[in-house]
Amino acid sequence: MDHFPLLTAIMLAPIIGALFLSFLPREADKIIKMVSALTMMVALGLVIYAYEMYDFNLGGMQFVESRAWIQDLGVSFILGVDGISLPMLLLTVLIGFSTVFASWNITKRSKEFFILLLILLAGVTGTFITQDLFIFLLFYEMVVIPIYIMVLIWGSSKRVSKEYSGMKLTIYLLLGSAFMLVGIIDLYLNAYPSGMRTFSMTALAQANQLGNLSEGFQIFTFFLLMIGFGSLLSMWPLHSWSPDGYAGAPTAVSMIHAGVLKKIGGYGLIRIGLLILPLGAKFWAPWIALLAVCNVLYAGFIALVQKDLKYVIGYSSVSHMGYVLIGFAALNGTGMNGAIGNMFAHGIMSALFFAMIGYVYEKTHTRYIPDLGGLAHQMPRVATGFMLAGMASLGLPGLIGFIPEFTIFVGAFREYPVYALLAISGIIFTALYILRVLANVLFGPRRTEFDGCADARGVELVPLIVLGSVLVVFGVFPQMLMGMVNSGVEPMVPFLTKLHAAPALLGGLFR
Amino acid sequence: MDDLVYTIAFYILAAITIASAIGVVTKHNLVHSALLMALCFIGISGLYVLLQADFLAAVQILVYSGAVAILIVLGIMLTQRRSMENTNPNSGWPRGAAVVCALLFVVILIVIAATPWHYSSSMAAQDTPSVLARLLFTDYMVAFEAAAVLLLAAMMGAIVLAKGGEEK
Amino acid sequence: MNITLLTSEIAIICLSLLIIILDLLLPRFETRRSLGYLAAAGVAGVFAYTCTQYGVSATVYQGLFTLDSFALFFKQIFLLAILLTLLFSFDYVEGLAKYQGEFYALLLLAVAGMMIMASANDLLTVFIGTELMTVTFYILVGYQFNSSKSSEAGMKYMILGSVSSAVLLYGVSWVYGCTGSIVFEQIAKHANTSLGMLFGFGLIVAGLFFKMALIPFHMWAPEIYEGAPTPITAMLSMGSKVAGLAVLLRMVFIAFVPMQAYWGGIVSIIAAITMIGGTVIAMWQTNIKRMMAYSSITQAGYMIVGLLSADASGIKSVLFYAMLYMFANVGVFATIIAVKKHHGSNEIKDFSGLAQQSPLLAVVMTVSLLSMAGIPPMAGFAGKLYVFSTVIEKGYLWLGLLGFVMSMISVYYYLNVTKVIYMNEPCVQKEFIVSQPLRIAALISLLATLWIGIYPGPLAELANTAARSLSIL
Repeated sequence: MDHFPLLTAIMLAPIIGALFLSFLPREADKIIKMVSALTMMVALGLVIYAYEMYDFNLGGMQFVESRAWIQDLGVSFILGVDGISLPMLLLTVLIGFSTVFASWNITKRSKEFFILLLILLAGVTGTFITQDLFIFLLFYEMVVIPIYIMVLIWGSSKRVSKEYSGMKLTIYLLLGSAFMLVGIIDLYLNAYPSGMRTFSMTALAQANQLGNLSEGFQIFTFFLLMIGFGSLLSMWPLHSWSPDGYAGAPTAVSMIHAGVLKKIGGYGLIRIGLLILPLGAKFWAPWIALLAVCNVLYAGFIALVQKDLKYVIGYSSVSHMGYVLIGFAALNGTGMNGAIGNMFAHGIMSALFFAMIGYVYEKTHTRYIPDLGGLAHQMPRVATGFMLAGMASLGLPGLIGFIPEFTIFVGAFREYPVYALLAISGIIFTALYILRVLANVLFGPRRTEFDGCADARGVELVPLIVLGSVLVVFGVFPQMLMGMVNSGVEPMVPFLTKLHAAPALLGGLFR
Repeated sequence: MDDLVYTIAFYILAAITIASAIGVVTKHNLVHSALLMALCFIGISGLYVLLQADFLAAVQILVYSGAVAILIVLGIMLTQRRSMENTNPNSGWPRGAAVVCALLFVVILIVIAATPWHYSSSMAAQDTPSVLARLLFTDYMVAFEAAAVLLLAAMMGAIVLAKGGEEK
Repeated sequence: MNITLLTSEIAIICLSLLIIILDLLLPRFETRRSLGYLAAAGVAGVFAYTCTQYGVSATVYQGLFTLDSFALFFKQIFLLAILLTLLFSFDYVEGLAKYQGEFYALLLLAVAGMMIMASANDLLTVFIGTELMTVTFYILVGYQFNSSKSSEAGMKYMILGSVSSAVLLYGVSWVYGCTGSIVFEQIAKHANTSLGMLFGFGLIVAGLFFKMALIPFHMWAPEIYEGAPTPITAMLSMGSKVAGLAVLLRMVFIAFVPMQAYWGGIVSIIAAITMIGGTVIAMWQTNIKRMMAYSSITQAGYMIVGLLSADASGIKSVLFYAMLYMFANVGVFATIIAVKKHHGSNEIKDFSGLAQQSPLLAVVMTVSLLSMAGIPPMAGFAGKLYVFSTVIEKGYLWLGLLGFVMSMISVYYYLNVTKVIYMNEPCVQKEFIVSQPLRIAALISLLATLWIGIYPGPLAELANTAARSLSIL
């Protein structure tokens, strides 16, 4: 054995934890939670180790493992991480670790909850580390069903019933993935002649360089992929599942969904869409930029008038995804850096947001903004978390959100000055709705009806500390994040420059 | 001369068969339908005779007219009724059924007309029972044995279903 | 002449006869469970024997009966299906008022019919095999003597089934008239594309589509699935459908090769209608067995999609799908039987709180249903990937897209069952008993479904060998 199969271990840790949990008695509530926490701690430790050991200077795929899997389909079990997937992986386990603690107060059917949670986390982890499309698909949809069941059992029916929101979430994402599946199969069949077929992402990316994929084909297939990943990323107008879904979901699911799952959409667009079908990406980029602006402005407007905390953050995350999309659509190194960085930043802050909303709801039993107020008096710690997440969300320098957003605008401005200006103006809306929420919920006169509400304490503080410190540390030392991301984007830069030089089809109209 | 006799016999038998088949469907009295069905079977066996399929013709009369039709009449007798009027009512949509049947008939006519048929030049087999027996017990052994199993299953099923409900 | 090729069929029929005899010898009020165990053990033995037969490719009786890997693959599906069905239906059979021994015996005879269908190489054997299977099913469907629904279903199935058999037979006579033979290879030699030949072929295919319950030949399925005893519903859904598929495959790819030019358009349209119709109607069902009827209609639609590509990879994908479809069905019907025993009815709402009463069965049901929907990492996903990638390769991109969209929509009604299982609280507070054999059957189905989904390599290889043994390719 030449080296320890690190990535397999990271992926298997939650699965083994879930298997172990299924043999524990239902009543052993505390042990169940401890085991889940321990599992995620192991995964987190391993990922941090990988993050530290990753060689920036070398770049490219590292910790690669490869096994033959299905011969006749050309599937092999390839794992590997680079500067793009490693931050995503870190994000996953950070949030996964926090969700265990954010769900510490769940006592109803806790065994099932934590089993599902761990399966869900294993699925997300797998999506980011696999380098084979078939295995990617296995993991990608593995997450959908646990989420549905979790929304059903532990969700809340405030504005929409949880049955509705769960089903909407699931069907939306699955329908999107149907298009993506056809796109991927189409790609698989056309990249190489029969007999040599493969699902390996690297090999498929080479197919384009060999000229096996015509421009028309790339444009069509990228469109299919765009529907799939776009609906996961809540790209306008495929976003409507997102606020409803978050509103119905339990805290942990909202955290994971907004924090990590959406990022699979962006990750897929870059890893599969751009690297394998660059001409398709180039054709659709102006459209994506246009939709991105819609995302930013439309969702920002809607967030302004929401009265339910979760809806505000739900629409806010839709709006933030617009920044990621416009960074992607710029198709240059800077924009790409910003897009990936922002995915990480947004993941951390939205997870923190949802965790804090979870606490507020748990203690005050309401998420209705006009009913809340002055919570900073009774819950200073929760208020701190809220403030941190809010400030990061509106891009305050010194916190994690600033650098990636700034980078995105720099990148996007070069390509689409008008769109970039419009998107930048979206920051004003962000500031408006974030400050409005913070002011109405946290500040103002002390309200006596909340005097009985205890502040977060004990293990409840773990998400706040973990995610909050990441917000601050990565904000103060952006190099820790952006250096890693850049090492992943760097190799793409010549490729992107060449892409810009290539003669453009119709898409050039919008330039 | 022979040909003419054959042709006339064919048309007479065909007319009997078709007319009685139509009668089976349209008669409102179930007993009449059953008797017409026996007649229809006899007409078909006549056609078999014309085709020089002597064994088949005999079996047709024995099994279909002799057993099947009589069994149906027996069944009618066992289910007691005062009057046999309107025991075989028409379906709800006689027009629709007529249209579908007519369409099917037209389609079959077209297909028959458009298909180039091959005629076998070999002589008709003499002593068909022994030829058939040899085939059944050699080449078509599997089908023959499976048919035996099928009969067993059907027999068991008849007993099970007939006696199954009685104690309720 | 090598009569050993018939060993597995002969063994199953002998087993059935043995059960009839033992049933007579057993004291009248003795439980017939032992006969069930005997049947299961016998089937397991035959299954083990068939595993040694791979690689054989031989015919007996002038090529009228053939044994190749293709036939073996299907026989193994049938044997596994009946084995697992027996395992989960001991309790159910004990609940029958009378004739429990005959129930097992008839079930085995139905399987013998399916096995003959898989090996049949001429239209007469096909017909007799089909009749052996369906006649036995006519009886078994009406086996619940105190339920008028069951009797009605039996009667309906008999009438409709006879009509379809008559259509099939009429088609056979046309084909014989046009080619002068009923043996597949001879038909292929004399086949032409005259109108009469096409007409006969169309009639035969219609008869088989009826057995597979494809829209527009599906009308019988919901009523009969609902009325029949649940183990029989399971066998109808697995056996009847897959056996029809086996015959269809062998016939189309050996006997009617010149017809394939006419084949694509019709089959693609029927597959599309079937996928859409089955999915849409299934959404409105409140009875789980009716829902499964429509679901199985949809599944048949997915399966015949693989026929469109008309090459070894297409056949392989169909074989692969048939196997995983069988496993998913076992899981679903095992759960249905357990719930029926607990609640006494088959409504979807009876599944309330199953997750708390029997977590294993809840998981089995969810995984099996999602496998049918084609969600990874369940087996159904790999199956759909194989099926649709072969047809997309042949240029039916629209059909692939439709298939995936429909399968994602079908998740809606599958998840509705999951919702009831997980979200609702149990409505009857009494102990939920799961018998050991049922648990084993459910567990086998669960493990197989996950295993095939995550690591489909071995089954794909097996299916490939089977597909290539259809020698014409």
